[in-house]
Amino acid sequence: MHLVASTGGKGGTGKSTFAILFAVKSSKQGNKVLLCDCDVECPNDYLLLSKKISDTKPIYQDFPELNNEKCLSCGSCSKICRENAIFWIKDRNPTFIYNLCNSCGACWITCPQKAIGIKKGMIGESFLTKVNNRLWLFTGISKPGVARTEPVVQETKQRALDFAKENKIDIVIVDTSPGAHCNVILAISGSEKAYLVTEPTPLGAHDAELILQLLKIMKIPAEIVLNKADVGEKEIIHKIADKFNTRIAFEIPYSDRLVKAYSFGRLGEVADLI
Amino acid sequence: MKVVIASGKGGTGKSMIASSLSILFSNFKNVIACDCDVDAPNLGLWLGVTKYDSSEKIAISEKASINLDKCTECGKCLDACRFGAIEKKKNFYVNSLACEGCGVCQLVCQADAVELRFVINAEIMIKKTDWGLNLISGQVYPGASGSGKIVQKLRKKAEKFSHDVMILDSAAGIGCPVIASITGCDYAVLVTEPTPSSFTDLKRVIEIVDHFRMPFGVVINKWDINPKLSEEIEKWSSKSLLGKVSYDKAVITSIVNLRPVITSKSKVAKEIEAVFKTLKSNIGA
Repeated sequence: MHLVASTGGKGGTGKSTFAILFAVKSSKQGNKVLLCDCDVECPNDYLLLSKKISDTKPIYQDFPELNNEKCLSCGSCSKICRENAIFWIKDRNPTFIYNLCNSCGACWITCPQKAIGIKKGMIGESFLTKVNNRLWLFTGISKPGVARTEPVVQETKQRALDFAKENKIDIVIVDTSPGAHCNVILAISGSEKAYLVTEPTPLGAHDAELILQLLKIMKIPAEIVLNKADVGEKEIIHKIADKFNTRIAFEIPYSDRLVKAYSFGRLGEVADLI
Repeated sequence: MKVVIASGKGGTGKSMIASSLSILFSNFKNVIACDCDVDAPNLGLWLGVTKYDSSEKIAISEKASINLDKCTECGKCLDACRFGAIEKKKNFYVNSLACEGCGVCQLVCQADAVELRFVINAEIMIKKTDWGLNLISGQVYPGASGSGKIVQKLRKKAEKFSHDVMILDSAAGIGCPVIASITGCDYAVLVTEPTPSSFTDLKRVIEIVDHFRMPFGVVINKWDINPKLSEEIEKWSSKSLLGKVSYDKAVITSIVNLRPVITSKSKVAKEIEAVFKTLKSNIGA
């Protein structure tokens, strides 16, 4: 099984577009393909393929739960929490601020009274969509208001990989969120290759360089996908490709057909563009 | 007055609008522009800034490391770490890309072999721009963590500049760094495009803005790439619509030449000025 990622730093450069075109093309070549949308805060792949959210399975996170009777209001939990997620005033029982909690477990390990239990809280969902006989889409979607969405990415990817194993998928393509933060790192980790989707503008170039540095640290080989290749100045992206000793694997010219397919959720029909 | 620019989906035009509004406000107000997209900061480029006046290194998160001389290889840290950051090959070691610096490994280690150290994970840069306004921008180092905390730090620094208006250009998404950008603002400008993805993501970001009971206005960027859907969004937004901006090659020309689009003689510049006018009357500036 091959595992590749579509990423890019800047938003709107065409990460999802490329991931979908690549997935559809690979499936047409006879491969069994799983596309995994790990942009869990704003997943769009299902919309771009005119699919609906359905049969969702919840994703849970462990949160601390206080047994008020056992608690002696010592404040140890509040002092040990590095996320400042436990609010405590002397001689009062602590309050947990779940939005700041990363479920590290320091509080329940530390509590001398064993007054902190674990409860599950829903932080997002995942769902599987069959696109055609050889192409499936796995989507993760965070619950609005949840600040720490990393566990949603992690669980979505795990479920996707389990599905891929069971169903003997040939290629898993992970579509990441914009940026270069934890969610992106989690989404691309373990990939044998990352496609960096960018555009020939100073903005695209700036963010491409950041991602190439990240991929270098992560020891993941990168190839560049130049989207809207004819709009702007290609030279700046070539320079970066040379600097990082990588190549431009795909060039996608600006096309009205692509823009229309994107905006009407018919990206599956234009896979000939790559 | 604090105005935050958000969108959910990336690449809809947040930084283009944020840079334009910053310049337009600076014509009659004291402005500080904050680039809160610390992962992939682009507001500077939209303001034509490539060099900053000053920059400061920030150490905001901690990372664990294992002292192999003390480690007894009991494996307690490996079992306790919930981020999969402890790995064992020949020895136990910490994968710093996965480490959240929570300190649980240190808590469970009975050999006192785990150390937590602050790491420099970001830079905060400042520039007095040609447009009279101050720009403060953050940059998380590739592979470092803590975007939300860096946004908080950046905002604290921004407060020290004398200003009447603060413009906060947020990251894409609706998670930690975005919530850190929206918290405590007075008004949100939400930038969308007439595509199903962008419209869906707009609704998701509105759930966050509503949570803070914050008034907001909607800008439809590149409205003419899908007039039908644009009309639908317009109707849906009703009174919160701030205006529409056309798809215009002048935007690309401006960014390629690193010249703020609002200073160009173009259709978009005029349309953004109209958005600004509506915004001004909405917030009473």
